[in-house]
Amino acid sequence: MMKDRALDPRTKLIIVMSISSLSVFIREPKYLIAILVIALFVSKMMKSEIFMILKKLRRILSLFMAMVLIQSLFIKGGNPIIALGEITLLTDVGILRALEFLIRISIILLSASILMTSSSRELLQGLIEWRIPYEIAFMVSVGIRFLPLLREEIEDTLTAVQLRGIDMEKLTLKEKIHLYSNIFTPVVTGAILKSQSLSIAMESRGFRAYNHRTSYLKLRMKARDYLISSFSILVSILIACLYILR
Amino acid sequence: MAYIEARKMSFTYPKGKRPVINDISIKVFQKDITAITGHNGGGKTTLGKLLGGILKPLNGSVLICGRNSKDLSLGQIGKKIGYLFQNPSRQIFTSKVEEEILFISRLKKQPMTRAQREMEEILRFFDLYCKKDEYTFNLSYGEKQRLALGAILVNRPEFLILDEPTTGLDKLRKDTLSEYLIELNSKGVGMIIISHDMDFINTHASRRIEVEGGRIIYDER
Ligand SMILES: Nc1ncnc2c1ncn2[C@@H]1O[C@H](COP(=O)(O)OP(=O)(O)OP(=O)(O)O)[C@@H](O)[C@H]1O
Ligand SMILES: [Mg+2]
Repeated sequence: MMKDRALDPRTKLIIVMSISSLSVFIREPKYLIAILVIALFVSKMMKSEIFMILKKLRRILSLFMAMVLIQSLFIKGGNPIIALGEITLLTDVGILRALEFLIRISIILLSASILMTSSSRELLQGLIEWRIPYEIAFMVSVGIRFLPLLREEIEDTLTAVQLRGIDMEKLTLKEKIHLYSNIFTPVVTGAILKSQSLSIAMESRGFRAYNHRTSYLKLRMKARDYLISSFSILVSILIACLYILR
Repeated sequence: MAYIEARKMSFTYPKGKRPVINDISIKVFQKDITAITGHNGGGKTTLGKLLGGILKPLNGSVLICGRNSKDLSLGQIGKKIGYLFQNPSRQIFTSKVEEEILFISRLKKQPMTRAQREMEEILRFFDLYCKKDEYTFNLSYGEKQRLALGAILVNRPEFLILDEPTTGLDKLRKDTLSEYLIELNSKGVGMIIISHDMDFINTHASRRIEVEGGRIIYDER
């Protein structure tokens, strides 16, 4: 059951869509920082568990950092900051791009934290009431539920690898990359095979037997929801205009 | 000396409410083939993983060769103990069958000619040589089980923990496995076999343990 004070999941979807589409399309650090602040503010208002997400992602975080680093090293435009003789290592544009990337990732994480204040069932219902075909809406929600499964699969695989007498701590970076690239395919195929059996199981229980499905959970947009939705759309159009006309 | 010793060990899964293992103390010896039996959900797999150092007990301790399992990394444990998971797909992590056996040697940069010869030997023994170029996820359940077991044995572990090793095997493959286990045991490899297969247990086990509700209710040699 929805709590009375909570926003409709559709409102959250609109907010998140506004924030994330702005962050994808804007390439100016100043604006991105402004969006980041807004996203942080909204996420705080919704009492999202952003620290929980960060904690869960802490292993991938180092990967992000590596990506940021690599990105800043490979962009060669602009004025060199660090150079080794003839070879420029780091330029101001490189740093700027890396910064943009970092901010974007943070915005997307914050958006996810906003969405996660609704259960996946509520979000699914939100999509359905937007007349998005049930199959597609269902796919989205299964997709979200699938991520932890994928993580489990990866963890199991890593356990199995280590049990063959491999000390992860002792591997060099090169060996680690070799290892990860090798287990990537089996992990993904494993996940795909699982989803295949899921779909067969669903068909055999009569999924899609009727065109229309009734639902116990009903969502209602309240005045506040309409207000917040229109406000966030208006603000994002405004920001977009400011950015284009700058 | 006991190869694995559990002292007043209890365990609850992170999301579980009730303890799955309740205050178990046990000594397991390398000269034995120890069988663990019990009803579904009795905690056999959990007990096996605790004794193998894959799970760490919440209370009490597990000593493997005299060292606390909490201080051993999975890599260190894997060099001593070979663990066959109840679901073999969980521990097969390469796309190609032969790669599953070769992978570790490749990663450790060991001489490949020797690894290649060993791979052929193992696949021949487990009747998988004709499948060496196939994809692992297309193997049947019994084939996966044999491949997983073969891959473990590459390391020449001194102790084996096998979680229901015979469930997927036909009569012929079971007999081959039997012979192999007897041979390994005569070479001094200790074993814990988790199984419902009474025939298999009666022919192999020198000690039988029954687990129910997270406690040992029967233990006899
Ligand atoms: N990852 C987990 N999280 C929470 N509870 C678990 C987990 N794995 C197992 N359990 C619970 O622990 C109990 C014992 O499980 P375990 O797998 O050890 O049983 P088992 O004796 O091996 O059963 P089976 O004969 O079916 O293999 C079960 O009640 C199970 O629900
Ligand atoms: Mg089990």
